[in-house]
Amino acid sequence: MRIYGASAHGLGGARARPGVRRRGVATSVESPRVAPARRALSVAVPVLLACAALPGGLSAQEPEAQIPGVALTLLYENLYIPPFAILPFRTTGETPETGALVHGIVARDLDYSDRFRIVDSLPALWDDQQGVQYGFWDQYGVDWLLTGTVERVAGARFLSVELHDIVTASQRARGRFPLPAPDDPGFRMAVHRVSDEIVLWATGDSGIAATQIAFHMPALGDPGSKEIYIVDSDGANRRRVTWDADLAISPEWSPDGSRLAYTSYKSGVPRIYELELATGTERMIGPDGSGQQHSPAYHPHGGEMVFTLTERQQRVVSYNIRDGCCLRLLAGGHAQNLQPAYSRDGRRLAFVSGRLGSATPQVYTMPSEGGTPELLSPYRYGQGGWFADPDWSPVSNQVVFAGGIVNRRTLGRYHIFIAALDTGDNRLIQLTQEGNNEDPSWAPDGRHIVFVGERSDGSGVYVVDAATGRTRRVVANVKASDTDWSPRLASGGGTRQSPRPGL
Amino acid sequence: MCNPRFVLGAFAASLLIAGCGGGPPETVPPAPIEPPPGRTPQEIADSIARAQFVRDSIRAAQEAEERAQAQAAAAARMTLQQTVYFDYDESTITAATEAALRAKVEVLRGNPGVRLRMEGHADERGTSEYNIALGNERAESVIQFLTNFGLGGDRFTSVSYGEERPAMQGSNEEAWALNRRVEFVITAGGDSIVGS
Repeated sequence: MRIYGASAHGLGGARARPGVRRRGVATSVESPRVAPARRALSVAVPVLLACAALPGGLSAQEPEAQIPGVALTLLYENLYIPPFAILPFRTTGETPETGALVHGIVARDLDYSDRFRIVDSLPALWDDQQGVQYGFWDQYGVDWLLTGTVERVAGARFLSVELHDIVTASQRARGRFPLPAPDDPGFRMAVHRVSDEIVLWATGDSGIAATQIAFHMPALGDPGSKEIYIVDSDGANRRRVTWDADLAISPEWSPDGSRLAYTSYKSGVPRIYELELATGTERMIGPDGSGQQHSPAYHPHGGEMVFTLTERQQRVVSYNIRDGCCLRLLAGGHAQNLQPAYSRDGRRLAFVSGRLGSATPQVYTMPSEGGTPELLSPYRYGQGGWFADPDWSPVSNQVVFAGGIVNRRTLGRYHIFIAALDTGDNRLIQLTQEGNNEDPSWAPDGRHIVFVGERSDGSGVYVVDAATGRTRRVVANVKASDTDWSPRLASGGGTRQSPRPGL
Repeated sequence: MCNPRFVLGAFAASLLIAGCGGGPPETVPPAPIEPPPGRTPQEIADSIARAQFVRDSIRAAQEAEERAQAQAAAAARMTLQQTVYFDYDESTITAATEAALRAKVEVLRGNPGVRLRMEGHADERGTSEYNIALGNERAESVIQFLTNFGLGGDRFTSVSYGEERPAMQGSNEEAWALNRRVEFVITAGGDSIVGS
């Protein structure tokens, strides 16, 4: 990842402790309570990012890649990333192996939150028998310290964690969480939820470890068919959830995370189905009729969905899935219109339209009841370029999409971009630099984005942190498509064990 | 190849003598035991042999015609099912595709009961959802071409598979070229296709 302009301290390891960090918020909380000021601060991060353009950022692109009037930037906000140390978890009535397993999951979750710099090696001499030695840890240069204990009491397991604020020399928060057995299918998710709580204590925003990513790919053992798979946000626990033996594509999480809507070709005509993850039952939720149905997206309040309906032409329509009625045309006409995505309040839609010419599809927004589309992607006449796959941030007015800003006939590369709607300019943030990248989807924190990348070392599912540019591959060596990030999963979260054999 | 009608006319009298008018029997009738007066057994045997020859000739001719019809129908079916290909990111009809589609027009005119499903495909480049749109445009572009020749649009349906069903795996120009296509599936009238 190339970072322009500001030095990337906090990423590198140079200790920097700005006086503004976390002052006035040092009160220890037993049950976390988020002060409004802190919440506002953390939500502001993406906005800061969008304001971070400098002229130097323009030189990041090939000359032919520039679009007049559009500032394209890779510049990242000068984020301070506090060092975070995690002591090995103690165990009571539980094996050290289980303690190490839980510790490993928590450490990776906190690392993947991209909010902290996890200290890999602890100092040789530390002693927490007499409580946390704040002065010692302050000398060592960490801002946060986490201690934990995995207990087993009368057959029940618990994970107790304490978060210590070294800067203010105080305990920030602590909690005791029930834990299933390590071989329980809900074990990892339960640990992820503890990690997300720790992130909330430290930053005021919950983490995203207890989430999952859905996508489709060629079925293992049956490469001719495509099936829906889901994987935990850290790349663990990949499993197949459809057995259509045909094409099952474009999964989309329901707002509560309990269901997936997707398109299946199993009836011969592509139609939208809904899969209940806890039970594995599915039903057809699209309207009757002869048209092809693609790209479902739930309204944030549930009950309604938008999708692409193709009868000769591709149109964006809405449909009441609660009552099974009220099919409504939102964008039609001669050009293709496809891939609708709701804004976080459900009032607007982003979608793709070929109304400027079928070879240069662009991303538009319009009222979710239908109305005049407004061009969002940076189209310039004669410049070529195409954009697709829009997804609206769940926390802000930013839309992420994929596309190529150069004429696809000459280069054909496509990348992930963010457009911020509230800034009033044409600023565009490019998040990827290598290979081809598509199907972006926001994490519930409005900061991380999952996408499909096609790189020199293979294809896979990638996650990028829009605030730091940190990118990692969470699923390697699969031809995945249509990635969609779940909301935060409060309970089991689709941990149904496969009732059928095979992968 | 001799004309079966000519064969039929030339040997009609012999048929009557042999006493088996109408269509050619499936099995050879038993020869009469009692020779009629005034004809030698040799004459009778000759007559039977002539009739046998006529029957065989007619059957061979009919089989040849059926074979020719079957071959023409198979050719017509093949013409209908021939996959057509497109340029990168294009749904316009190329010259090669136009020739293939014109051949389909002739077959479809001679077979008004035949219905087709156009299955549009794209290569892997570009986003997967956009490629579904592209596959749809290709299928619709083919339907538009056919209806411009006066064929009823209600005879055609379309489905797009985007990039999800490649004809050839691989990330190279050869695979891409084979994957940018519309395939044709006969959905009705496939049992009674006649050739031209």
